[in-house]
Order: sequence, then structure tokens, then C-alpha cells
Amino acid sequence: MQRTLRNSVTARLAAPAALVGAVALFGLVVFSSGQARADTAPTTTAPVTVSTLPGAQPGTVQETPTAISAVPSPTAAAAYNSPSNRSGIIYTDLPASFIAPGQALFAANCSSCHGALATGSDVNGKAIAPNLQGLGAGTVDFWVSTGRMPLTDTSAQAIRKTPRFNRIQTLEIAAYVQSLTPGQGTKVPLVKTAGADLEAGNTLFTLNCAACHTISGAGDALMEGAYAPSLHLATPTQVVEAIRSGPGNMPRFGAGNITDTEARDITAYVTGVLQHPNDAGGAGLGGIGPVGEGFVGLLIGVGVLMLVCFWIGDRA
Amino acid sequence: MSDNNPRLEGPLPAATLDDPHLQPATKNPERMEAMAAAAIVVGMLGFVAFIWAYWVDANTQWQAATLAVGMLGLGAGTIAWGKYLMPQGPFVEERHDFHSSDTERESFNAAITGRGGLEVKRRGLLLGLFAVGGGIMTLAFLIPGVRSLGPKPTKSEDTHGSTDSSLFTTNWKKGAKLVTVGGREVKVDDLEVGGVLTVFPQGHEGSSPDQVILIRLAQLGPDDPPYPIAPPGKTEYGVQGYVAYSKLCTHLGCPVGLYQERTQQLVCPCHQSIFDVNSGAIPQFGPAPRPLPMLPITVDATGQMRANGNFDQAVGPGFWERP
Amino acid sequence: MIDKTLNWVDDRLGIAKGGRTFLDKIFPDHWSFMLGEIALYSFVILLGTGVFLTLYYVPSGHEIVYHGSYVPLRGQRVSEAYASTVGLSFDVRTGLLMRQAHHWAADIFLGAIAVHMARVFFTGAFRKPREFNWIVGTLMLILGIVNGFLGYSLPDDLVSGTGIRIAFSIIESIPIVGSYLGFFLFGGNYPGSGIIIPRFYVIHVLIVPAIIVGLLAAHLGLLVKQKHTQFPGKGKTEHNVVGSPMFPTFIAKTTGFLFMASAVTFGLGGFAQINPIWQFGQYEPYQISYAVQPDWYMGWLDGALRIMPSWEWVGWGHTIPLEVFLPAVIFPGLVFNILIVWPFIESVWTKDTRYHNLLDRPRDRPKRTAAGAAMLTLLFAVFFASSTDVMANFFQLPLIDVLWFFRFFVPLAPIVAYYITFKICHEMLAAEGIGKRKRALVVSRSVEGEYSTVESEVRPGDGHEELEAIPVPTFIDTTDPELATSAGVRRVIR
Repeated sequence: MQRTLRNSVTARLAAPAALVGAVALFGLVVFSSGQARADTAPTTTAPVTVSTLPGAQPGTVQETPTAISAVPSPTAAAAYNSPSNRSGIIYTDLPASFIAPGQALFAANCSSCHGALATGSDVNGKAIAPNLQGLGAGTVDFWVSTGRMPLTDTSAQAIRKTPRFNRIQTLEIAAYVQSLTPGQGTKVPLVKTAGADLEAGNTLFTLNCAACHTISGAGDALMEGAYAPSLHLATPTQVVEAIRSGPGNMPRFGAGNITDTEARDITAYVTGVLQHPNDAGGAGLGGIGPVGEGFVGLLIGVGVLMLVCFWIGDRA
Repeated sequence: MSDNNPRLEGPLPAATLDDPHLQPATKNPERMEAMAAAAIVVGMLGFVAFIWAYWVDANTQWQAATLAVGMLGLGAGTIAWGKYLMPQGPFVEERHDFHSSDTERESFNAAITGRGGLEVKRRGLLLGLFAVGGGIMTLAFLIPGVRSLGPKPTKSEDTHGSTDSSLFTTNWKKGAKLVTVGGREVKVDDLEVGGVLTVFPQGHEGSSPDQVILIRLAQLGPDDPPYPIAPPGKTEYGVQGYVAYSKLCTHLGCPVGLYQERTQQLVCPCHQSIFDVNSGAIPQFGPAPRPLPMLPITVDATGQMRANGNFDQAVGPGFWERP
Repeated sequence: MIDKTLNWVDDRLGIAKGGRTFLDKIFPDHWSFMLGEIALYSFVILLGTGVFLTLYYVPSGHEIVYHGSYVPLRGQRVSEAYASTVGLSFDVRTGLLMRQAHHWAADIFLGAIAVHMARVFFTGAFRKPREFNWIVGTLMLILGIVNGFLGYSLPDDLVSGTGIRIAFSIIESIPIVGSYLGFFLFGGNYPGSGIIIPRFYVIHVLIVPAIIVGLLAAHLGLLVKQKHTQFPGKGKTEHNVVGSPMFPTFIAKTTGFLFMASAVTFGLGGFAQINPIWQFGQYEPYQISYAVQPDWYMGWLDGALRIMPSWEWVGWGHTIPLEVFLPAVIFPGLVFNILIVWPFIESVWTKDTRYHNLLDRPRDRPKRTAAGAAMLTLLFAVFFASSTDVMANFFQLPLIDVLWFFRFFVPLAPIVAYYITFKICHEMLAAEGIGKRKRALVVSRSVEGEYSTVESEVRPGDGHEELEAIPVPTFIDTTDPELATSAGVRRVIR
């Protein structure tokens, strides 16, 4: 009697409970994040997209010349669109009209650390922040457009956050810093990823970038509190600026090392493939490889089957 | 023994449907049967849907969902059938000791020691010869079976490929051109300060033991004093602010591809050994026991970067024959 | 009709007597006895999906140009192994599902073995007469890990190639014979002469599975011959097994369970992406990705390698890379050897040579339970040490601090775990009635209106029985020698 009673209760509850549990766990998997999340929303205009429908349909690089929304000059725009733009990257000089408003923005937001002349020294000549002179507009654009500058916490590595300035303001600050040392450092690139060679970008990324940023672009911890950031929100301009200027702990890759064409291919691979990975196999599990897979396999795989055991078998 | 537990003679009685001990476990078998049937029907629909998903080349998620629903329905239905609708008992089965009777044991042991021992005593010579012969046969199979598998690691190679010296030495030699994996020749102006590049001796692009990581630490011209590397004697291995280290980690041979530019450390992505580039790649932390071997490099008159000799030691992880 | 067929077969094979015994075999009903079945059915799924994969996979390191449907690889020079694996993922219908289900099944297979083994260990099911089966099971665990690693390596992608590189260096670290072993296995210095993929393939699909199938047959054969253990309880003694018969009850449950295991594996296979090799790219020995970890069952070895200090022994013209040899060869060797000899250690230690068919509750054997907890803690600690970089990234901690934490945590945690487990077991043993169901309090009111509270009678099923169980009365007097050998299922009177 005792037994019959218990079994009928189990009969009523166990089967639906197991079904609901299994469905819920699958739902968890399906709706879990497909790719590593970075810490803010995209900062500039739409990146290049590659179709990554499940089933791996051939992807196409779409033409979206939006690396910089304010095209600095008609000549730059012409050079960008000209068929002679084989490498896909035009390093542009920012218009002189940007310098004056940039100086005002710099004085209000940056000079407290970097100094009015961006030397990084306070009035006594003591260095309190990096000297920005000679780094060029592209370097400044990278740090400001990714929201890393202005810094909120000087003790830790600057992280990507919502930028404080809009696109024009960012370029104005960059133009001002560039005007202090004309011709030096990294210029702001206009990147045209249309026509890029994704296969070459893939190979170059694996050889030069994956050792820090990981093969999925998710980023990882480096030594001494440093981090290789996730690339999932980087814009084409930012990718090229980072390659050329080597922000933070990143090595610098000059044109003798990675040519403009190669930089363009890497950019197309990062913004096209890594940011829109082909997760034909289901949820991407964070793109961190076997660590995530192990947890899913043990907790959901073995775990659900143990629940089934629990249903099938006796519990006392 | 109670009255309803009579001692039976002969074989076990056949089970009958009205036997009170063979009734299903659930109180309401009709409803449970309906539920199990429903589950199996759901499973059937799942399998049909899987065939449909295959037919229309639906994506992997559809294939998995339909197949999983099919398996789930069929499985749940069958389990419910077994758990709620079949005789539950509990039944009991007697268990017996495994060991044989003493007599059986004795006769078994006697067969081995007695009958066998007799033969050993009588024909000891044959037995010894058989053992030696078997041993030689094993060797005869093992020697070609193992030796053919690969070359022998030696310090110098013979010509017919049965030895391999690549554990001890590399293809770098004095004058070898530094090229990228794609074969591009590396010039002295190619790297900016803080730049890194993986290079190979020309003609051996992509070869594992030959991989070298080239780093530019300073913008120095041909007439500047060389960039100082801390252990004495290694400074002249670099040239014009360049240094070159074997890219094979001395821990487990992973490519040490992670260069932290600001702290000037090479890090192995596999097990996080840290090498200080400024001091001849001496390990600062982690499991790597030895510095990365340094490759002497030079620049010729055309600006082409060349090796100035081979490594002064074996590259990569440690092994027994490593001096 | 069926009778006729059975008789026809029995005339030729004589299956009736043994067959009846087999159909009457009793399986205990407790849920923990099904954990091994997870492993069994994962293995079945591995065989099925694996056969599918062999039809499309090309075990060759030969370089070709990729022309499949995954665009970012088109035109790249890749090995045939890699190209065919990407090909069977994208260009063969259900190929990706099968490949991912195969990989998930491997993860679940080894996880289930671990859980099953823990159950066997903590309940003392490995004791006499089941030492052989414990050893057979341990061997299958080792072979499962080896084959998992080999299978993981076959796609020749960047992440697995790094794993092979590490494996070569570990073999190389063995004193005296290491470099020869490595050269013979790989056909030369790493990365070998292109022969390693076909060799791994043969070992993965033929040699190891064949051995596992043999061991599995032995495992189940021993199980049938020696019969199941069981938890002590009403009617359960050292001399019987109480539960459900093989046919039909257990067959129905276990067949259903096979389908459930398949449902979970294939569900994961389509909804949780595993090892997306097309994102990793072809392996080249000079390329590497950060955040590379082996599959979870190899993680404990990787973790041990990470936290090991850089102790290399050099002398007399020779080198012993202890920083590799100790964590990657000696450590797993010790762990597996301790597992294999544990039944004998315990038997000698406790001077217990009796048969054991009734299981212990873990608390009944505080020292064994504490030792098992310490071993599990040690393995978990080194397992987590293999993801130091992912943890440092996730918790935003300095990587070196995380490494230092594990250097202390790994040796200390097992000691703490031993002590705590031992104490808990002792406390539970000391406290009367822990783990028993509480008896209901019956509140009654007398005719005068006075309330009184009395504990109810003990009812069947209330709590655990004592270790010595009451024999179950059966229909058949089993003292009758003729009937005792007929080994039929006896119905129980309750």
C-alpha cells in the first residue's frame, strides 16, 4: 500500500517534472549567450557584415564605407572610393578646422592629466600621464573612440566603455593632438573592407593576433593585471589603429611587418567573421573552448541523465 | 512458513495475469498506459519530423530538436511502461559463493602442479629452450616493429634517414636569411619599436624547430652602441635594436607567441611561463625552466637580416639526452 | 510459434537453462545503480556516431587547398584531415550533428564513468569479490581518456594541434627512453613526418575501441556472474539480490534510458556548439591561440603542468625535465595506480577478507570516505587550475595571483577535505537517528478535552534498516538443493 501510493505520486509528478526540466535546460543552452559579451554597445556605425547563417552559406563582404562618418575632405573621399585604393586603407589628414574645437575639448577633458600640450607632465615637468606628442591622430582616435579615454580609474588597465564624445568631437581632439607634432605617428585610417581576402585575414589573425586575443577574439587575461580585450565590438577603424599604434601592451605592427592590404584583410576577418561567428553548431558557449564545454557536458549532459536515473530508480 | 507460502515441487509456476504479485506498480494503469502511449506517439512524430528535417536540409538545430524529441518520447514512454506497468516485485534472487568446493580446488591445483610439475622436472631442458626461443621471437618481432616506426634521435644525421638530429640542432646557420612564413625577406626597416615577427631560415618556412620570434626593442642605427642584454656575452647576439629568440617554449614546446609590449615580456599561451625579453629571455614566472635560446643575428649591406650562426644550445623542451 | 522457434534454437545451442537464469537476473532498483549505464549508452552512441564519421573523415596530413562552403577558409592550404572534418560539418547532411553528438558523448562518457566510479568507491562496492571489476573499470577510464585525447586531435585544428605538441613534449620528458618513444610514435621529431594523423586514427577507431569493447564485455560478464551489490534494507542480505528482473521490467527501463541518453546527447549536439574547428583553423606548429585548454577529462593534467614550479634536473650530461615529468607522467601514474590497488590496500589495512555484497553507507567508513573526498578534491583543484587564465579574465584578477593561489590550494585543499569529511562522518555516526525519517507526532484529545502528543508507530519504510537485514520469505524453500540451483526468480511476500 505504502509503495503503491508513493509510486502513483511519482507517476504523477516525475515524468512531467523530468520533461519540463530537460526542456528548461535545453532552453538555457539555446538562449545562453552565443558569443562573449564585451562591456558596452557598439560605438560607431555598422561594421562590415558577413552572412553567417547556420549551414555555412557562403558569406559576402558588404560594402559599407562607414569607418568614419565625417569624411574629412573631398580629396580623402575621392581617394577612398577610387579604384586605385587597392589596399583598402587611406590614411587621412584631418581638416585644420578641427584643431580649434579639439583644443577646447582637450583642455576641458584631457589636460588635467596629459597637460595642455599633451606632454603628460604637470606644471613642474613631472610625468603623470603618457606623453601624447608624436603618437598621432589615429592613436588618440583609438583611445577616445573606444571609450578608454578619459580614464575613470588610473590604477587599472583602461577598459572599453561607452565613449564620452561623438565621432566629430573625437576626431577634433585627435586633430588637435596631431597638430602639436605634424606628420608624426599614426594617422586616422579610412578602411574599406569590401574586396578583402578573408582567407588571408584568417591566416594573419591566427599568426599575429590569436596568441593574445584568442582564436575566437574573446580576449583573455595577461600577466600582472593586464588583459587582451575582446574584439567583438571593435570597428574597422579601431582595428587598424590598434594594429598600427600598438595600444597598451599590444605590439606595434608597422607597414613593413603587416602591409596595408594585410591589415585590411585582418580587419575584414575581425569585423566580418569573428564578430559574427558561424555558430552553426548551436550556442557558442562563450567562445572559450573546452572550459565552457566541460561545464555544459558535466552539468547538463551528465546532470540531466542523473535526474533521469533518479526518475527511473528507487530513491530509498 | 505461512499457509500461502507452500513449498513447491518441480519447476517454477508460470506467471498468470491475475497473480497479485505481478500487478503493475501504479494505481491507475489505464491512465499510465495512455500517457506512455502518448509519449511514444510524440516520439514517433519526432522521428518523422527528423526525416522531414533531413529531406528539406533544415539546419542542425532542427535536426537535433526533432531527433531529441523522438528519442525523448520513445524513451519516456518505454521507461514509464517498465516502471509503472510491469511487475514490480520486489523480486529476490539467491546468491551463492563463487569458490569451488575444496575437492574441486585440490584436483584443479593438482592438475597444474602435479601433472605440469612432472613434465617440468622431466623435460627441464625443453622448457628452458622454449622460453628462450619465445623470448627471441618476441625480440624478432619487436625490433622491426618498433624500430621502423621512426628515426632515432641523434646529434648528427646520416644520409638514409634512419636518424634525425632536429632535437639537438636547427637549420639556422651563419648567413641564413630571415624570412617570414610566407617567404618574404625581412629587412632591417621592417619592424617598428615594439614590433614582433615570426621568422624562419630561408628554405625552411613553417618548420617547427626553426621558428624564431624577432622583436625590435629600440630604434638603433648601424653605428649606435648595441642594445644591452643583461647576461654578459649575449648583447652582440642582437643587432640595431633587434633581438631574436627561439619561439619554442622551453617548457612544452608551444610557440611563445604572446608578446606584452609594455612590460617587454614574452608569455607562453599554454602554461603562462613569462620570459623577460630584455635579459635574454630568462624565465620570470611559470613552469619553464630555461631561457629561450637566443639566435645571433646581423644585417648585411643591403639591409637584409641574416642569422649570425646557429643557436648555442638545443631549442625547445628538455629531454634526457639534452646536455 | 515463438515456442517453436525457441525450441529450434535450443536444440542447436542449448540456450534455455542459461537463458532463463539470465532473464531472471535481478537488478537492484536504487537509482545510483544506473550511473554506469550512462557511460554504457554514451559508449554505444560513440560507436554509432563514430562509424558515421569514419565514412567521411580522411585520416591524412597531406596538404590540399580547401574549397568547401566555409568562406573564410577558401583557398587556404589545409590538411586533408582538417578539410574533411570541416567538410563533414558543413557539406554532409547531419554531419555536424553527428560530429558534435560524438564529442558530447565522449564528454558525457567520461563524466559518467567518474560519477559511477565515485558511487562504487564510496559505497565499498569494489570489495571482495569485485576487485577484478574495479580494475577493469579503471582500465576503461584510462583508455577512455586516451581515446578522448586522440579523437580530439584528429581534426588537426589549431587547438588540438597544440595539444599534440604538448603530448609529444610530455613523452619526451621521460628519462632515458623519452625521446626515442616520441620519435617512434611520431615518426620523427615533432610535428613528425605527416604520419601522426593516420597513426592516431588507427589507434582511435580500431585499437582502443576494440580493447574497450573487450573490457566492457568482461565488466558486464563479471557483473552477471558475481551479481549486483545492494544497499542494506528490508529483506536484503549478503546472500540475495532484491530488485527487478532483467526481463521484462529492467529491459524496458534500460532501453528507455538508452533513448534518453541519446536524446540528451543529440540535443546537446545540435544546441550547444562544441569544438567549432572551422573557427580555429588549420594547425601550424608556429601558430597558437591563447586560452587553449584540453577537454575537461585532460584538464587535471594541464592544471598540474601549470602550477608546477620550474624544477629541471641537469647533471652528468643529461637533463630530466621534472617540471614536466612529475606533473604529467608521475602524477597521473600515481593516481591511476592508487585507484587500481585501492581494493587491496583497504583489504590489508582493515584485515577484511570476507565477501561483501551489501554496500556501506559512506558515513559508515569515515576513513575511506575521507580519502575519496581528498582524492576528488585534489583532482578538482588541479582541474580548476587548468583554467587559471579564463578565471583571471572572468573575475578580473591578476593571472599570477590566481596561479599562486592554486599552488597553495592544490596541496592544501585535499588535507582540509579529508579532515572535514572525516569529522562529518563521525558526527553523523554518533548522532542517533540521523538520516532516518522522522516519526509523525500524533496529537490526540481525550474525552475530558486534554491534549496529548504521542510518537506514531514505526512504519515500514521509515528510515534505514540496520546493517543486518531480515531474510525475505520466498515461495520456494531454497534449502532444497535442486531448486536452489534452478536460480529462478522468487516472488516475495510482503
